[in-house]
Amino acid sequence: MRILSIAVNTFRENLREKLLYNLLFFALLMIGSSILLSRITLGDYHRLILDLGLASINLFGVLIAIFVGIGLVSKEVDRKTIYTIVSKPIPRYEFLLGKYCGLVITLFANTIVMVVGLLIVLQVMDVPITSLVFKSLALIFLELMVITAVAVLFSTFTSATLSAIFTLAVYMIGHLSGDLKEFSKKLDEVSQMVVNAIYYTLPNLERFNLKGHVIHHLDFGMADMALTLAYGLTYAAFLLLLASIVFQRRDFQ
Amino acid sequence: MSFEAISARRRHLLSFLTLVLLLGASLSMQYLLEQRSQGRIAKLEQLRLLPRGEILRPALLGYHQLGADLLWLRVVQVLGDRVVRDKDYDWLYHALDVITTVDPKYVYAYEAGGIVLAELASRVDLSNRLLEKGLAPNPASWQIPFRLGFNHFFHLGDHSRAAEYMAQAARIPGPFPIGPPHYTARLASRLYVQGKNPEVALEFLEAMLEQTTDELVREKLQRRIRRVSLERDLQMLERQILQYADSKGKRPASLMELVSARLLPGIPSEPYGGDYLYDSKTGKVMSSTHDERMGVYVPADSLATRGDIE
Amino acid sequence: MEHSDSILKTAGLRKTFKVGFWGRSVTALEGLDLDVRQGEVFGFLGPNGAGKTTTIKMLMGLIYPTSGQAWLFGRPIGDQESKARLGFLPESPYFYDYLTGLEFLQFYGHLFGLRGVALGKRIDELLELVGMSHARHLQLRKFSKGMLQRVGIAQALINDPELVVLDEPMSGLDPVGRKEIRDLILRLKESGKTIFFSSHILHDAELLCDRVAIILKGRQVACGRVSELIDEGVAHSVEVVIDGLGPEELARLRQMADRVIVQGSQVLVVLPSRQQVGSVLELIRGARATLVSLTPQKGSLEDLFIREVKNKQPELREAV
Repeated sequence: MRILSIAVNTFRENLREKLLYNLLFFALLMIGSSILLSRITLGDYHRLILDLGLASINLFGVLIAIFVGIGLVSKEVDRKTIYTIVSKPIPRYEFLLGKYCGLVITLFANTIVMVVGLLIVLQVMDVPITSLVFKSLALIFLELMVITAVAVLFSTFTSATLSAIFTLAVYMIGHLSGDLKEFSKKLDEVSQMVVNAIYYTLPNLERFNLKGHVIHHLDFGMADMALTLAYGLTYAAFLLLLASIVFQRRDFQ
Repeated sequence: MSFEAISARRRHLLSFLTLVLLLGASLSMQYLLEQRSQGRIAKLEQLRLLPRGEILRPALLGYHQLGADLLWLRVVQVLGDRVVRDKDYDWLYHALDVITTVDPKYVYAYEAGGIVLAELASRVDLSNRLLEKGLAPNPASWQIPFRLGFNHFFHLGDHSRAAEYMAQAARIPGPFPIGPPHYTARLASRLYVQGKNPEVALEFLEAMLEQTTDELVREKLQRRIRRVSLERDLQMLERQILQYADSKGKRPASLMELVSARLLPGIPSEPYGGDYLYDSKTGKVMSSTHDERMGVYVPADSLATRGDIE
Repeated sequence: MEHSDSILKTAGLRKTFKVGFWGRSVTALEGLDLDVRQGEVFGFLGPNGAGKTTTIKMLMGLIYPTSGQAWLFGRPIGDQESKARLGFLPESPYFYDYLTGLEFLQFYGHLFGLRGVALGKRIDELLELVGMSHARHLQLRKFSKGMLQRVGIAQALINDPELVVLDEPMSGLDPVGRKEIRDLILRLKESGKTIFFSSHILHDAELLCDRVAIILKGRQVACGRVSELIDEGVAHSVEVVIDGLGPEELARLRQMADRVIVQGSQVLVVLPSRQQVGSVLELIRGARATLVSLTPQKGSLEDLFIREVKNKQPELREAV
């Protein structure tokens, strides 16, 4: 329950973040603009609307996750608000988990707003809404959860700016690591080992990318879905535990 | 006091073990997912699933060249696999189309893509479509018209179009790597005049071989050079037989008689290690390794297929 | 642990920080031994940068000691159960400024599992106690420094703690604000709580504390009852004002006194201790002069402090 209290407080704090509304506004603008674009495109405008809508939800969700996530813990430390909380009988990991859950609630609320925007556009433009759209959205949200955990991990030991840079780097490498692994097959063994180490320890964010499946109507089975969900949640749990261990050892100066 | 210390240590150990466990679990799930998506096909699927270049371009936020580079790397991986099913080449074309839409000035992608589509995939139509797309945004590139010229000459047998493209390539100024190789202009003019001569074809092919570093294409060109030199030899032998018949009033009984009549310094060796078979009744020469002639280069334009036997 | 009534105890508590890019070690606290007992007001004194906040942060589990040990309620620091019996007000506290006074206290109440009517009642009591009932629906961003300090104390008391730790509770406040906080501390003491507070303002400590510890540059230089420290540390001087002394007596007085100030026919003499009073009185009687006044000077923590700083300074300089 203490985790919930901290989560709710974090959610309230996030709601005061002006950045959040700016990003949300742009996301809705982009989703809405697909109506205009679909008028000037030739051929398959269903595809354009889905492309643009899913991409907007994904991109802006990630931006919110990163730029709100990095301040989550470091801001509490910088502003010394953490002092009164840590001196209460609350283990540090509960604090961290509460902050994380708070941001996940924020992201959920945001994603819901964006998804409603997309669904309205799809409905208005008569684009069939398949179950695949929802699977894709679910995995986008899972990706946001993993990114948030990465941001929280970094913000337990570095400044907000550095966390932003690191998290962005992980986000980018996370999407390229599959390719890097393929590319490395042509390299020498040492390079291959390095790339494999990166590939297996960093999250493979391409696993959460079903946008192509939606556009091309490729099926994504329930078993794959379950496995991917399990993968994402396990990885997020791993990151949070690592963050807790780091956070537990930290001096708040 | 000591009790707490022990339990603290136990707690540390426990959290560390959980950490390892979680990492292990996520690794194995990652591995499982990878197995389920079956490596190579997944790679090609990814290419197929690329969004259209027009949509991808704005999403790259100005990093068009980087995006094109990464996609190109991906394409190269697929090409390296060698075993590519025919229908996969449509996806390959799609990927190349996306790359060149994202970065329309990626000359190497046009050039190499054009080669791969024409030589590996035998899809000259797609190769030409890609290369033609690259002409407008890259007016200073000789490679694209050169490659188009080659396609029209080599695969389509359209010598006049080939000559036009070669002339276009020859007009690009500058020394070799920037401008076209020195022989381009000569090739263009010879193509205009005597496009169907195997000597011209060989000259063209040798020139291509000289400036191509890609092993696959080199091998392909070398094969073709051998095949065309076989045709050249056959034509040359038949020409000499005709000349022999003109001067002596009868066909030679064997090819050796051409040598003894000093029409030839010797019988050329068959490029595939076979023999030249001569039919004294018809005056035709055949190869023991290839029983078909190359259509384009046969003066009568007979309908022979242009397949290689190797 | 030996004393059953020992609420807060440290033994050889030490903290070094790594600073800068190269991780140079800086000692913030060098072997601190404290023992705070049940029901007392304990002052933890020292100039800014002496290591007071570092010590309190260690006690609150915000930073970890480099070596040494500390116990709260007989349990090693960091123990969650002892934290439940603790209230803490950090130095110049920063709180979530978007919350109202009520929401702020509700949040901390929830952290202790307090809910509903019980929590509402507790919050009413606390706002009343710190005199902040009027600010219940005001956002913390609109609070003055004194109001923040008071609502911060309310936050520290939400769990009805046995030990209240206050870091510089009086700093940055105007005289009225300081008086209010002092009264609050005394009221808490009356209700049986143990109070440990740090301050660099000695006057406050003198008025409030049963016992004090003084640290300078990370080292403990004195510890004990305020009256004892003053008595043993500072010899009590005496000020004597005399009228009508001749120049000869004046010369003799100058040998005995620390200072002699002549103002017209009157002379102000400052004697280093009470022992000289007898001979001065004899001198006055012999010279037939008039004794205008005789005031024994009470020593203050300030004197002790300044003397300690003077004593320790050369040694500390060497150590650094």
